[in-house]
Amino acid sequence: MRWFRFAALVLIATILQTSLIDIIAFPAVDIKPNLLLILLVFFAVRCQSTDAIITSFTIGFAADITSSTMGPQIISFGVFGTLLSEMYHVITIRKWPYQLLAIFITGFLTAALAYLLTFLKVIFFEAEPVVFNTYTELLWTPLYSAIVGPVLFLPTQWWMRIKKRQFRR
Amino acid sequence: MLGGLIFLFAPQGLTNKFQFAFVRTFSWPLGKGRSVTLAARTPASTELVSRREYDRLQNHLANVIEQRDQAYQQIKKLSGLSSRFPFEGAKWVLADIITGPTDESPNEFIIDRGAEDGLAKEQFVLGDNSIIGTISDVSARRAKVRFFTDPASNIAVKIAGLDVSRLMQGTGDNSAKIRLLPVEHKVKTGDAVYASKKPGFLDAPMIVGKVAQCKRDDENPSVWDITVKPVCDIEMLNDVAIIVTDPRQ
Repeated sequence: MRWFRFAALVLIATILQTSLIDIIAFPAVDIKPNLLLILLVFFAVRCQSTDAIITSFTIGFAADITSSTMGPQIISFGVFGTLLSEMYHVITIRKWPYQLLAIFITGFLTAALAYLLTFLKVIFFEAEPVVFNTYTELLWTPLYSAIVGPVLFLPTQWWMRIKKRQFRR
Repeated sequence: MLGGLIFLFAPQGLTNKFQFAFVRTFSWPLGKGRSVTLAARTPASTELVSRREYDRLQNHLANVIEQRDQAYQQIKKLSGLSSRFPFEGAKWVLADIITGPTDESPNEFIIDRGAEDGLAKEQFVLGDNSIIGTISDVSARRAKVRFFTDPASNIAVKIAGLDVSRLMQGTGDNSAKIRLLPVEHKVKTGDAVYASKKPGFLDAPMIVGKVAQCKRDDENPSVWDITVKPVCDIEMLNDVAIIVTDPRQ
């Protein structure tokens, strides 16, 4: 695992997610892809288990930095990134339709868990309430990410110097 | 996982420091990125209507304004009291403006009513059916009105469609700012901004302005930096109304 390249990639994705991603958002409904979700799936299906766990939590931390509440995304990204990585021992996700599906399902689950944790934080720790746009967060963002994801896998693969034969399975 | 739980249960003020550190460190690329995004989005956000539609709407607006002015004059002639449902029992004191805004005090003016008429500090002042400020100082027969655009003004407001209240502070240049509203809330230019209810001063939300600009905050991109402009031309006002919710005082 090239950790320096990984750090640079996550940093760039985080900055893009906070600023330039609005360029490709649907203007009327403000739906945009989640670059960090795409990276989460990429590393979860291409790294060894230990590396996948570390990358999942790191990407979750980056996702939390750009959101209003810290904590939920680290846990949700970490948990589902790890689960996806473990699932890879059973199912191979090489064809792009499966990758698309993996991004969509992971996006749905991470958003749902993050919402639940934020809700708990608001209730038990009286944190500032956060508006959750259900359809956008659970459906449209994962769907848009799933469409864009397989395309972004190629430059990410090149940047991380990961060749196809290095796939774990 | 443990780290995630620590972040989750840590006080928000503490965890916000990570977000501020990130923004401080990468303020240059974030700022540039936002500028590029705004530049790219500007043409798409330009909304145009046909001349015919524009004229039709302008005419409709003129008719409504005229009807409102007539009704306003009738109320003024009859008693000077409003019968608005949420303000039943409230007294609406009509006052003429003695001295308008000046270069020395561009966000204040003096009216010809005072404590003898039931006026007190912090009462809301209306111009053209919208809140324009509050009473900042009062004498027996005179009172000073401070616009909500004055930097010393802080009014609790809420934006149309949102169920959260935030403080709006004047900037001094005929606008006010709403900050600390997370970007998860959908806010767009033209949204109405209402002064929140304030027991003893305001029985129901009333329009105070409209969102003139909405962008991510420079220091913290996770919150909005909203600019609010008044919905009436304050400089053109001749008279105002002051809401006295408890006329016995």
